[in-house]
Amino acid sequence: MVEAIAAPPTGEVEPISQRGSLWQDAWHQLRRRVTFWLSALILTVAVAMAVFPGLFTSLGPNEGCNVRRARVRPSDAAIFGFDNQGCEYWSQVVYGARPSILIGLAVTVFSLLIAIVLGLLAGYYGGWVDGLISRLTDIFFGIPFVLGATVVLIAFPERGIWAMTLVLVLLGWTTMTRIMRGQVLAVKDTDYVRAARGLGAGDLRIMRKHILPNAIAPVFIVAMLNVGNVISGEATLDYLGVGLQFPEVSWGLQLNVARSFFFEFPHLLIFPGLFLTATVLSFLMLGDVVRDALDPKLR
Amino acid sequence: MGRYVVVRLLQMIPVFFGTTFLIYAMVFALPGDPILALAGDKPLPPAVLNALHDRYNLDDPLIVQYGKYIGGLLQGDLGETFTGQPVGELLSDRWTVTLQLALTAWVFELVAGVALGVIAALRRGGIIDTLVLGGTTFIIAIPVFVFGYTAQIVLGLHLGLFPTSYEGDWPGSFILPAMVLGSFGIAYVARLARASLIENLRADFVRTAQSKGVARRRIIGVHTLRNSLIPVVTYLGVDFGNLMAGAVVTEGIFNLPGIGQQVFQSIQLQEGTVVVGVVSLLVLVYLLVNLLVDLLYGVLDPRISHG
Amino acid sequence: MKNVVRRAGWAAVLTAAALVAGACGGGGGGGGEGQKASRFSVALTEPDHLTPGATSSSYSITVLQAIFEPLVEIDPKTGKPVMLAAESITSTDQKVWTIKIKPGQKFHNGEPVTAESFADAWNATAYAPNGWTNNYYFENVVGYEDLNPEEEGAKPKADKLSGLKVVDPNTLEVTLKAPFSQFPIMLAYTGFAPMPKAAFADLKAYDVKPIGNGPFMLDGEWQRNRLIKTKAFKEYGGPRKPKSEGIDFKIYASRDTAYVDLRANKVDLLTTIPAANVSEAKGLLGDRFVSTPGGTMDYLGFPVYDKRYAKPELRKAISMAIDREGIVQAVFNGTYKPMGSLVPPLVPGYREGICGEACKFDPAKAKQLFDQAGGFTGTLNLYFSNADPSYEQWMQAVANQLTQNLGIKDIKFRKIPAADYLKTLREHKQDGPYRNNWVMDYPSPQNYLESMWGAGNRMGWENKEFQELIEKANSAPSMEASIPLYQQAEDLAIKEMPMAPLWNWQDQAGYSKNIENVTIDAYSANLDQITVKK
Repeated sequence: MVEAIAAPPTGEVEPISQRGSLWQDAWHQLRRRVTFWLSALILTVAVAMAVFPGLFTSLGPNEGCNVRRARVRPSDAAIFGFDNQGCEYWSQVVYGARPSILIGLAVTVFSLLIAIVLGLLAGYYGGWVDGLISRLTDIFFGIPFVLGATVVLIAFPERGIWAMTLVLVLLGWTTMTRIMRGQVLAVKDTDYVRAARGLGAGDLRIMRKHILPNAIAPVFIVAMLNVGNVISGEATLDYLGVGLQFPEVSWGLQLNVARSFFFEFPHLLIFPGLFLTATVLSFLMLGDVVRDALDPKLR
Repeated sequence: MGRYVVVRLLQMIPVFFGTTFLIYAMVFALPGDPILALAGDKPLPPAVLNALHDRYNLDDPLIVQYGKYIGGLLQGDLGETFTGQPVGELLSDRWTVTLQLALTAWVFELVAGVALGVIAALRRGGIIDTLVLGGTTFIIAIPVFVFGYTAQIVLGLHLGLFPTSYEGDWPGSFILPAMVLGSFGIAYVARLARASLIENLRADFVRTAQSKGVARRRIIGVHTLRNSLIPVVTYLGVDFGNLMAGAVVTEGIFNLPGIGQQVFQSIQLQEGTVVVGVVSLLVLVYLLVNLLVDLLYGVLDPRISHG
Repeated sequence: MKNVVRRAGWAAVLTAAALVAGACGGGGGGGGEGQKASRFSVALTEPDHLTPGATSSSYSITVLQAIFEPLVEIDPKTGKPVMLAAESITSTDQKVWTIKIKPGQKFHNGEPVTAESFADAWNATAYAPNGWTNNYYFENVVGYEDLNPEEEGAKPKADKLSGLKVVDPNTLEVTLKAPFSQFPIMLAYTGFAPMPKAAFADLKAYDVKPIGNGPFMLDGEWQRNRLIKTKAFKEYGGPRKPKSEGIDFKIYASRDTAYVDLRANKVDLLTTIPAANVSEAKGLLGDRFVSTPGGTMDYLGFPVYDKRYAKPELRKAISMAIDREGIVQAVFNGTYKPMGSLVPPLVPGYREGICGEACKFDPAKAKQLFDQAGGFTGTLNLYFSNADPSYEQWMQAVANQLTQNLGIKDIKFRKIPAADYLKTLREHKQDGPYRNNWVMDYPSPQNYLESMWGAGNRMGWENKEFQELIEKANSAPSMEASIPLYQQAEDLAIKEMPMAPLWNWQDQAGYSKNIENVTIDAYSANLDQITVKK
């Protein structure tokens, strides 16, 4: 569930004068972590499935299905068995990667962009701009995720990846915006920002050159964690029947069908469940190690 | 202090109306005729259709409908459902169930989360720390419906440890659903508690206390934990709203007759009055809990004051 | 979800019961050992209303059948009416019907059941401002228009049907606008149940605590979303004398949870086992699993007004490209019956496989016919509502088969919100094949044929000959005489195939070890017959 990511910023961020070294330090840290390489490996495979499914299977999505083979258990011929429609499960699970990963990344990127822009404006200008943006954030933050999404999605008879992305962005930009605003507030009054202003730099330049780089780290961490949560949230919407639909293939849809057959045909649940959990877990772990690397205090 | 509360309460007004209007507008924008849907596959004569449209003000434009709704609201009338039940009665009936569930999950998050976080922080870098971090991350990575359904079948049906569905009693019927619902938050609470405790353990006042020879347990218990709870409290404040709204799935699996269940059905039936009633209530609770959390800061950390 | 199978005549009406140990309301563990009350509980989905005229939800009907005694019930073997509250229902011209009511019957509050009790209930149902869903059942009664003005905002001229006449306390005379030979069967529907005078003092209060004339009476108000508690009505004098002390209708939001509870022995009868769980339930419950053929049918309708679907050959090709047997196995666990006729087997006049090869799976012939008809261009949109996840399942199989067997590549889903679905169909906005479902109101071919293929149908199919045959059958002197005429009409509708039959629902029920004598038929779960094991 997307809304629960609200890990609030702990403490203020110390202004970083040499930001090059922060990211370099972080990279040195990361290289030594097993978790980093493990999650990176899993994500590489998952992203490859999403981008080049042809590398993993010769069948197309929903191709070669025969209802007479429905729910046949895994065997040598079909290592993942067959799904409820009698489609070969391995290729269906491979095709399931694309919507999950695409939606996870797209939602996070768009939310991050909105958060950066609105957070900068609100934090930097304060006053009525801040008041307006903050109240707007409150309003959207107050809408419960599943309910808000259901209300909007029910209106789309043809729900595809982009409709889902739109809805998830609509309900998911608030947390990062709040964190961004808090960070900007903390950075705004530092000496180097004052110095830059004293030297006659314009608002835009100050925001871009001095505030943004120093305020972005915590927001970036939350964004990393957010990818996993979005994927999970998308699957929940599929489960509730207001998410993606045929001819789209997704892990959430597969899990939705599988849950009724859990005991008789566990393979239906296990395979997409495994892939989904591994992907989400990798994004979360990656977010974790990046946070550790960027925020040495927590190590 | 008093002024701060007043300002905050005033700020809530536009947020409250903004959210309810947004939800009302979204429900209103849904295609279709909810009354026709009620008749299912059977015909509904036009005269009956007109009568029902009138009863639920469905022929009015959006703003008039919303106005009538708010007007009723101010007189304490929340409208009625398509099955003729007053929404006020429905809310008060279902509200308690959701509140019980959310509070149970909340306490569960707080107790288990803080305990895990403290243990992990004290054994930082050790096996227990890794286990706590890894285990809680793993739980959030599993979609809640898979987790809930599996818990119901394994712990409820096969092992018989918990009831499989709602039986009307607290806490019996609520423990398992609350664990499922709270599992997500535990991971966050544990992390926040761990991170913040680690940070505080390095603070000067802890070193001072240590050098004075104060027992380690006392340092953690009295000096550090209180300070470390601030981010946890913030999170729990935000999360309380989530718990109540996120209960849609959990309530469905365990047949708890709560608000989440109701509102999900009502969205599909386009029962605007119910949806807006429930969401307004959730928003109100969410706003108040967050105000409370902000006030709690002052108690937890004397450095913050709302002058 | 609540609105899943929402609408149903009383065919799909099976619901579940379970024995609750002790008398704990919401269920609850094992209290009251030693003095076990002979009560059992039935798993139910939340009904919409409990006023007979105001509901056609199958869940409501399950409860109403226990607390009301309709005029007649239907013999599940013959499909013919058997008198219950009525002594006789007769007519010489199929137009003016005389209903004699058995004297001495009582409502739960002690009021006598008279001809007026029926007339009052029927007038209230037919009166538009009440907004009751069963209103349309009275369209054929003389005087209906005066209660139902078409124009918006118009006031009805009357609040009583002029075609209803209370001759004496035990005789009711009904005058219809057109002859209708199926009238007595129709009266078995709970929408025609009587209401006492006490009801009209406060209809809202009545809806949560209905007073009926049936074998069980409400014990306290309907506790919404939780429980409807009933107890045996001591003064009930009819043939359905209850064999238990009461029924608790336990309300579930999801059938999946109800099924888990059946397995955990927390509920004793569940009449709607989810299709996905059927094969598991068969193994686990053994003899306690009951499958009953129902009257509900699924069809695939075609928008005949869209010129791409104008040729009967193309429609037949699509019908023949669908592997009904395979879908029933995959999606419904083999529990539904693939259909080769327009009416289900339990309807008098049913002919097995009358549709012939047009309803048989034959990919080669289908493709040949498809090419002859000139193939298909553009996107093929499949329409269905979001009311139940199983629709999407079988539609997906249909889509895959049309791609494979006919080579139609561009197939899209149009999953319409339930609130919008029938409006879409009614206004002919669908431009592709759509899911059409029919829940039987009463076991007569007329109920299927005229309702779905008759004037103003959703397919936009027009056929004068069909129309005339139906009219002739409706005014036939007897049920028997009407059947051949309905069959001729059915043949016509098959030949043109504006809508292809898919399968007939079977209701899957299961019960716990705590109860016996469970006899479920297509029309009723016969809850009165169930006994509780000591």
